[in-house]
Amino acid sequence: MNDMSQVPVTVLTGFLGAGKTTLLNRILTEQHGQKYAVIVNEFGEQGIDNDLVVDADEEVFEMNNGCICCTVRGDLIRILGGLMKRADKLDAIIVETTGLADPAPVAQTFFVDQDVSDRTKLDAIVTVADAVHLSSQLGEHHEAEEQIAFADVVLLNKIDLVDNKAVENVQTRIRKINPYAKIIKTNHCSAPLTEVLGLNAFSLDRVLEVEPDFLESDHDHEHDDDVTSLSFVSDTPLDMDKFQAWFGNLLQEKGQDILRSKGILNFEGRDDRYVFQGVHMLMDASPMGPWPAGKDRSSRVVFIGRNLETMNLQEGFEGCKVA
Amino acid sequence: MSEREKFLKEKISSLVPEETELESRGEHFNFQAPVTCSVTTSHSIAVGFGDGKVRFFFEREKPRIIDAHNGVVLSIATNGEYIFTGGDDGRFLKLSQNGDIVEIANFNSRWVDSVAAYKDSMVCSSGRNVYIWSGDQKKAKSLEHSSTVGGLAFDHTGKRLAVSSYGGVTVWERGERRWTSKRLVWKGSHSKVGFSPDGKYIVTSMQESELHGWRLRDKVDLAMRGYPAKIKSFAWVGDTPHLATSGDHQAICWPFDGKDGPLGREPVCVADCGKQISTFIEPLTGEKAVFVGFNDGSVLLSELDENKNPFVIRNPKGSEISAIAISPNRSYILIGDSDGNILWSTLWKNN
Repeated sequence: MNDMSQVPVTVLTGFLGAGKTTLLNRILTEQHGQKYAVIVNEFGEQGIDNDLVVDADEEVFEMNNGCICCTVRGDLIRILGGLMKRADKLDAIIVETTGLADPAPVAQTFFVDQDVSDRTKLDAIVTVADAVHLSSQLGEHHEAEEQIAFADVVLLNKIDLVDNKAVENVQTRIRKINPYAKIIKTNHCSAPLTEVLGLNAFSLDRVLEVEPDFLESDHDHEHDDDVTSLSFVSDTPLDMDKFQAWFGNLLQEKGQDILRSKGILNFEGRDDRYVFQGVHMLMDASPMGPWPAGKDRSSRVVFIGRNLETMNLQEGFEGCKVA
Repeated sequence: MSEREKFLKEKISSLVPEETELESRGEHFNFQAPVTCSVTTSHSIAVGFGDGKVRFFFEREKPRIIDAHNGVVLSIATNGEYIFTGGDDGRFLKLSQNGDIVEIANFNSRWVDSVAAYKDSMVCSSGRNVYIWSGDQKKAKSLEHSSTVGGLAFDHTGKRLAVSSYGGVTVWERGERRWTSKRLVWKGSHSKVGFSPDGKYIVTSMQESELHGWRLRDKVDLAMRGYPAKIKSFAWVGDTPHLATSGDHQAICWPFDGKDGPLGREPVCVADCGKQISTFIEPLTGEKAVFVGFNDGSVLLSELDENKNPFVIRNPKGSEISAIAISPNRSYILIGDSDGNILWSTLWKNN
């Protein structure tokens, strides 16, 4: 997923009324000198009229590849394939999802479909959240939690409609689900487009920059299928065979509950840093060059998902350390 | 130049392939937009491009350019006389070989992904719906499906229309008064669809880099697997016939003779191109031979015989072959790629 000729694709999620259409209209109308195509869903909030707007049906297909949670967006495969046949090259593509959509099938499409991953690359998942309603939406709809959990960027919109305390609270709530997402506070989705598009968040080298903004305190469970995150660090090198066995098995068995995973690994006897990132059971992994001289060689892994506390992640990770 | 340099220069230049016969006698064009589709009509070859243009190639003439769509020409079909195109501008068009354009329908931001035609019937799909116009009808008959249509195909009689989508194929049959349907089920997403020339089988290419087929008499399933890539192109070759398919390092040709077709039988594999993946298949009309285009732009011609060597028709130019078509009286060949290159040449020497 690293070729320069791949067109970046930004996935725009968020509940109905959060402000996705405002952002899309800005992307389509602002003078930025870029050529963007926008794939909208049929339940869009209001009509957006532009030559480069494509209607999609948000069709989620199961793949017959033995991976039980592997679903992809069939319409996206078709539309991205069509857009790649254009004579004029696009600078970026934006995919809007419906408010109740699970972002996983969109992300998985880029892992599973060879034609899609040859010509395009997943740039980032951007979630527009409504500062007024997000807290209640998180309690009521697991899709809202998923959209926050998958996000690389959360545009916390409509902050002018709530007081500072409420903004603090909703940020804390977002952090509990996803300590890695960049939170941008806005009114009318007025964030600079450079902070939303062209982020390269799914490229493996960006994983190296991951510095979680973790909360110190344990959080209280509001209900059983809360999305949470856990991360582990080790200065002791890991055994590659042990890690592969543990991690492969973990994704196979618990992949449905693990929404996103990322990591930088220091394997015993290897000079290169190994980097991976995954969505459910699918993952992309690669050596990413040698460790920088003079810096600590520490392994870091991160999981965002449900029921993480039942997966014995700590013990599993510890068990991969070289004895 | 030192001896060593001379030696290297000779060595290197001998690695650069010489022009093939077709390349040296043919005309070369670059149209600055990907070639997306092509079809052979009664008198010409029509080619669709990524900038919305359609070009008609007549033997011994300059190509005729038609500004058809405001975007990509996604699909093309012919009833012999006219061509029908679907575009990402949402329009379904009927074009004459003289360049007259009639807009049959406009679905705006919904693409017209697939088209088909048979005599006085023309069909297109947009989203989940298939629209059929027959005879002089102004208004289309609309057939709805449970998911977006992947492909359309008439059988050789024009009475049956196969529509592929998620989970299988719907076969519509034209009755006295209305269209009736039956469903062929197979899990997964089906795209391109086609009937065998005798109308006894239906075949689809799938998202999972495999083909699926059904024997229509008893709905027996035929799974054709083992491909390293998606099958973008397939075609029926020879009288037997064989189903020649892309998606591998060669053309994989499944036998459809006998009463069980390819059930339990091995395919014939021809036109091996090493590491490249085949992307386009076109039979040499009237022969048991097939043109095979690859993702590096090379094209081979091979008989359906594993013991025969293929001929190199076109050398690699770097981008994927997206069209191969033979002119109506079999005297010219057109080869197009996704960079907009077209090779237009007589097929035989001294033509």
